[in-house]
Amino acid sequence: MSNISKAFENKKAFIPFITCGDPDLETTAKIVREAVANGASLVELGIPFSDPTAEGPVIQGANLRALTGGVTTDKIFDLVKDLRKDVTVPMVFMTYANVVFSYGSDRFFKKCSEVGIDGIILPDLPFEEKEEFLEDCHRYNVDLISLIAPTSKDRIAMIAKEAEGFIYLVSSLGVTGTRTEINTDLESIVKIIRENTTVPCAIGFGISTPEQAKKMASVSDGAIVGSAIIKIMEKYKKESPKYVGEYVKSMVDAI
Amino acid sequence: MTKIKLCGLSRFEDIETANEIKPDYIGFVFFEKSIRNVSFEKAADLKKKLDPAIKAVGVFVDEEIDTVANLLKEGTVDIAQLHGSEDEEYISKLRELTGKPVIKAFMIKSAEDAAFVNESGADYVLLDSGAGDGKLLDRSLLREIKRPYFLAGGLDPDNVLNALDEVSPFAVDVSSGIETDKIKDPQKMRTFVKIVRDKNDNIHSFQDKFSIREMKGTKMNNNDSKNGRFGIHGGQYIPETLMNAVKELEEAYNHYKDDPEFNRELTELLNEYGGRPSRLYFAEKMTKDLGGAKIYLKREDLNHTGAHKINNVLGQALLAKKMGKTRLIAETGAGQHGVATATAAALMGMECVVFMGEEDTKRQALNVYRMRLLGAEVIPVTTGTATLKDAVSEAMREWTKRIDDTHYCLGSVMGPHPFPTIVRDFQAVISKEIKEQILEKEGRLPDAVLACVGGGSNAIGTFYNFINDREVRLIGCEAAGRGVDTYETAATVATGKLGIFHGMKSYFCQDEYGQIAPVYSISAGLDYPGIGPEHAYLHDIGRAEYVPVTDEEAVCAFEYLAKTEGIIPAIESAHAIAHAIKIAPEMDKDKIIVITVSGRGDKDCAAIARYRGEDINE
Repeated sequence: MSNISKAFENKKAFIPFITCGDPDLETTAKIVREAVANGASLVELGIPFSDPTAEGPVIQGANLRALTGGVTTDKIFDLVKDLRKDVTVPMVFMTYANVVFSYGSDRFFKKCSEVGIDGIILPDLPFEEKEEFLEDCHRYNVDLISLIAPTSKDRIAMIAKEAEGFIYLVSSLGVTGTRTEINTDLESIVKIIRENTTVPCAIGFGISTPEQAKKMASVSDGAIVGSAIIKIMEKYKKESPKYVGEYVKSMVDAI
Repeated sequence: MTKIKLCGLSRFEDIETANEIKPDYIGFVFFEKSIRNVSFEKAADLKKKLDPAIKAVGVFVDEEIDTVANLLKEGTVDIAQLHGSEDEEYISKLRELTGKPVIKAFMIKSAEDAAFVNESGADYVLLDSGAGDGKLLDRSLLREIKRPYFLAGGLDPDNVLNALDEVSPFAVDVSSGIETDKIKDPQKMRTFVKIVRDKNDNIHSFQDKFSIREMKGTKMNNNDSKNGRFGIHGGQYIPETLMNAVKELEEAYNHYKDDPEFNRELTELLNEYGGRPSRLYFAEKMTKDLGGAKIYLKREDLNHTGAHKINNVLGQALLAKKMGKTRLIAETGAGQHGVATATAAALMGMECVVFMGEEDTKRQALNVYRMRLLGAEVIPVTTGTATLKDAVSEAMREWTKRIDDTHYCLGSVMGPHPFPTIVRDFQAVISKEIKEQILEKEGRLPDAVLACVGGGSNAIGTFYNFINDREVRLIGCEAAGRGVDTYETAATVATGKLGIFHGMKSYFCQDEYGQIAPVYSISAGLDYPGIGPEHAYLHDIGRAEYVPVTDEEAVCAFEYLAKTEGIIPAIESAHAIAHAIKIAPEMDKDKIIVITVSGRGDKDCAAIARYRGEDINE
C-alpha cells in the first residue's frame, strides 16, 4: 500500500496542482504549506516543461514564467526536500516524459525517493509506453499514476487493472483549463474503474468552483484543481499564498 | 558496398588523412595496454577535427558502462566497439542509456564461436582471429556467420583484395596493416581505401549480399515491432485522450493501404490532380559548372501546390474521408503543408483548420493568404517560439478537444505511431519514381540521393526505396541556421540528443533538463527541434548521413540554382542543393547524384531579398 492511499482515507481528497517556480520557488513553498494547512490531502507539483502539450493557456503561461525565472528539476528536488521538513501529506510530481528521460530515469526516481515524492503523473506517457519508466518507479517506490480519459472506452479496464497510487480521471476532452460545464458520463467510467481496482480515483480538468468540486468528488474519490489555482497565482504573484489558502479551504469545505 | 574502418588513429595527422580519404569509420582505442591507446580528452579533440560524415568508433575492453555511455553521449565517439567479456546485459543497457549502435568483437576459432556470434544482441559484430594481434582469420569459419560483420585481423593493402574475393563482409577493419613502424602511414591508408573502393565499384549494384532489411531482420527492430518502433525510436507518447484515435487511425490505415480501390483512387488523385509523376531532370549546366558528378533534380516543386507535401496530404485526406471524418486540422511551418491540406480539404469538401506559428505567418504571408483563399481557417500560434514546434503542439491540443469528426493531418514523418509510417508510405512515391526514372535514363542506380531534413518527410520519401540498395548514399541536409556551434541552429542530428517529445522518441535539440530548445533557421519548414524517428534510426545504424547546412550556404544555393538552371527552389530544398554544390565537384564525372527539390521558391523570394538587404513589396 503506497503512501498516496492515505490521502483518500475516510474522506474525499482535494488535490491542488501547483506549477513550481511560478513566480518563484520561495512562493511555491509558501503556497504548498498554505494549501496543506487549509486541508489539501495530496499536492500535485508541476515541474515546468517548455512545451506542455496537454495544457491549456493558463498552465502553459505558468510553465513559461517558471522557466523564464530559472527553475530547474534540481532546484525543485531541493524545494521538495525543504517541504518535507514539515509537510506530511503525499506529494506527486506532474511533468512530461522528456523531463524525466533527460534527467535519467533511474537518477530521477532515486532522487524522488530521497526527497519524499510519492508518485508521478506524466500526461504524455500512455499505458502502452509505461515500461519506459515503470521499473525505475518501482525500484524507488514511486507510484506511476495512470490517466483515464472520456475517450478511453475499452481501455478503462486494462488501465485500471494495473493502476497504482490513484487514477487521474480526465473529466472532459481537450487540454487543462476551466470549463463552465462538464458533460461527460463520469459515473459510468468510475463504475468500470471500481469493477477493476480498489485504487482510488480522482477527477481533474476543468474544475474551478466549489459546486463543480462537490459534484466531481461525489462520483469519485476526489477532485483535482490546477488552472483555477494558477490563475490566482498569476494574479497575486508573491502575495498569492494567502489567496490560494482561502480558495483551497472553500473547495475542501465544499467536498 | 563494403564499408571501411581505419582503427587505432591517435594523432591529428591521422585524422587529417582520414578526412581526405573518408573511410566510413575510424576507431579510437581506449585500452591502456595497447600501443594505440588514446586518452578520452585527446579523442575528444581528435573527434572535433574529424569530418562529421565519418563515424568515430570507440574501442573498449571491459570499461565501466557509464564511462562508455558518457563518451557516446558527449559525442566523442558515435559507436561503441566492445572487445572484452561484455555480456548481453551490458550491450542492451548501453543501448538503452545512449541509443547508439554497439559493435561486439568476437574471436573466431571454431564453429561453436560462430554460433555465438549469430546470437549476439549487438547491432554489429566484428570478427577477429585474436585480440587484435593482426593474424589472418580462417575464411572457412566465416561461412558459418549468418549476419553482417566487420572483418578484422591482419588485413593490409596487399591481402584485402583476396579476402574480399572469398567473403563479403559488411565492413573491413584495418589497423596494423596501415602502419609503418607502428605509426599510421598516410600512403598505406590511402592505398587501402582505394583498393576497397575500386573493388566496390566493380561489384554490380544489385548483387549486394547483405541488404539492410536482412540486417534489421537479424537484430535491429524496425518499424514492424510494437507501437511503431524504428530501433529504439518512435512509439506513442501522447495523452490517453488520443490513444483510441491513433489506434483507430492505425486500423483504418492497415485496412486501406492494401485496398485496391483505395489505391486506385489515390493514384488517380496523385496523377490527375497532383501532377505526378514528377520529372527527374538532368541539370546539365549545374553538372558542367561544378565539374564532377552528374546531377539530377527530382522536381517535387512541379507538383500541384508547389511541394512534395501534396503526396502525403492526398493520401491522408482520402483516408480520413473513408474513416468518416469531415474536418482536417494541420500544423504548418513554411505553409506548404498547410496549403496542401487546405487544397485537399477544398477538393474533398472538408472543413480545414491550420495552425501556424505567428512568426511563420509573417515570414510566409503569401501562404497564409493562399490557405484562406482555399477556404481554410488559419490560426496563428503565439506560444513558445511561435514557430513549427508550437504549431504542432497546438494542433495536438486541438485534436484532444475534438476527435470524433476530426483527422489530424500531420505533415511530416514524426509524431506518434502510426504517423511516421503513414507519411513515409505516402511520400515513398518520390524514391519509387526516382528509381524507375534513373534506371531508364542511366541504366543504373545513383551513387547518392540528397534531400533536406526538418521533420524529414521529403527526405524519407527520397530515401525509402533505396534503403536496401546499400551502394546508394543517403544524405539528409539539416538546417544549421547560423551554424552548429551557435544556439541559432535547427540541426538536430548534429546538436540534439535522445528525448521524448511530440509523441515520439527521437533526437531533439534540448537543454540539460530536457527543455526543448528554441531552434532557428531561415527556413520555416526546417525550423523544428526534432527529426522523424526513422531518420534517427537510419542515423544510428549508419545507413544515412545527416549533414548541417547554414542559412548563408542555403541562400547562396537558392540564388545559384535560379541563375544556373532557371529553377527557383524552396529555401528548404536549397539546403540540399547547397550540400550537392559541396560534394559534386569532388566526385568523379561518372558518378550520379539525385537531389530532391522538395518545393518551389516563390514563397521565399521576399524573405531572401530581405536577407540580402533588399525590401520588396509582395
